[in-house]
Amino acid sequence: MECVVQGIIETQHVEALEILLQGLCGVHKEHLRVHELYLKSGPNLGHVTSEVRLLCNLEHPEPWTVKHVGGALRGAGAEQISVLVRNMVESKASKNVLRLFYALGYKLDHELLRVGSAFHFKRGAWITVTVSSINKMLKLHAIDDTVPVTLGIQVVEVTAPATSENYSEVAAAVSSFCEYLAPLLHLSKPGVSTGVVPTAAAAAASLMSDGGGTTL
Amino acid sequence: MPLKRVLHWQPNAGTTVNTQILNEVTQCVESINGVKEGRWKATLTYYKPILRDQSQAPELPRDFLGISLPEQPNKYYLIIRGQRIVLEADSSIQTIMEKLQSYKSRVALYFEGFQYQLGDFQLRVGKVTPTHSDNLRGIIMEVEYLPLSSIDKSRQVMEEFVDIWKEAISKRSLPGHFMHMEPNFMEYGLSDHYSSQHTAVQYATVMAQLIATQSVQAARN
Repeated sequence: MECVVQGIIETQHVEALEILLQGLCGVHKEHLRVHELYLKSGPNLGHVTSEVRLLCNLEHPEPWTVKHVGGALRGAGAEQISVLVRNMVESKASKNVLRLFYALGYKLDHELLRVGSAFHFKRGAWITVTVSSINKMLKLHAIDDTVPVTLGIQVVEVTAPATSENYSEVAAAVSSFCEYLAPLLHLSKPGVSTGVVPTAAAAAASLMSDGGGTTL
Repeated sequence: MPLKRVLHWQPNAGTTVNTQILNEVTQCVESINGVKEGRWKATLTYYKPILRDQSQAPELPRDFLGISLPEQPNKYYLIIRGQRIVLEADSSIQTIMEKLQSYKSRVALYFEGFQYQLGDFQLRVGKVTPTHSDNLRGIIMEVEYLPLSSIDKSRQVMEEFVDIWKEAISKRSLPGHFMHMEPNFMEYGLSDHYSSQHTAVQYATVMAQLIATQSVQAARN
């Protein structure tokens, strides 16, 4: 399981966000360059179509990651929390994993290149924040020939691994962390678009002028 | 990691494997001063595709299997023999395969028995049984040479040891012999440096051989 929230930020404010994150988390950013392949099962395979993601971190090309994102937690309890709790299973795998899934009857649905930065830290829970631009490839697997999907906008994703026992504490930790980022961006459950926040420019200017040294 | 060979018991034509042979093999290891160390167990699962329309048979692999090995308890190996693919993944790949609901387990087998130390060699002798019954389907033996990881460099010492072993077992006049079929590891993209992926490929090869032998015997009967 994982807890997740997403938001967007204008590229011009990303530097300020990174300064803020660095100040909040006390860790340096890691460069992120990930080739993501989204596969779907062929027409006659499985009673329903299934989807799996294969991720190749181009900074460390092996191992790859196989990721399955399942359904989100439902019910009144899930409605009340501001974070999406969903089933997610990951496995590292050797680099021939794409060949294996093709052989099993899976087809490439789409692929993208995620470029940006990531922050990993512990703050009530193990939290990962990624700030990245999403790029599409102009030719199959052409990771050096890409164009951004949304020019001038980057995606911010906050995730934290959880279990069925501790997800409410993890969700609370993610939620409370997100409040610190509120002046720059609004984070919400995936699929709930909230756009950019009007205070972003002023907050970014303030952060850039004092180098993120302000204690929040 | 140290290199190993996986051998299987090939019964003579018209005979089948039985627990008496397994006992004799075990006694033979002990008679050449193998020191019993403990139990070992590997699990092999054949998967079959879940098809929406059974009348349409797309070109999906019928020889897709997964193996868990005691030497790498947190890993799982997926193999498609026909296409010479071996994948090393975390054990959680099994959960992902279950969630995808595109392949399901057709049959699962245990390879289990005892481990013995014999100088620089480690031997594992075990039975092959379906996970849900005690029916003996085969006998398997791993010969591990601890000092080396290079397949080429250890070829001679390994062959000498296997010859000695075969000679020792032949004195018992059992209705069959141990056989080793070395897969072409390069076809799987594996190097001369031995790894658990090599072991997984050897198990898949041995299983194919056991199935072929039993199919021939079933046809004869």
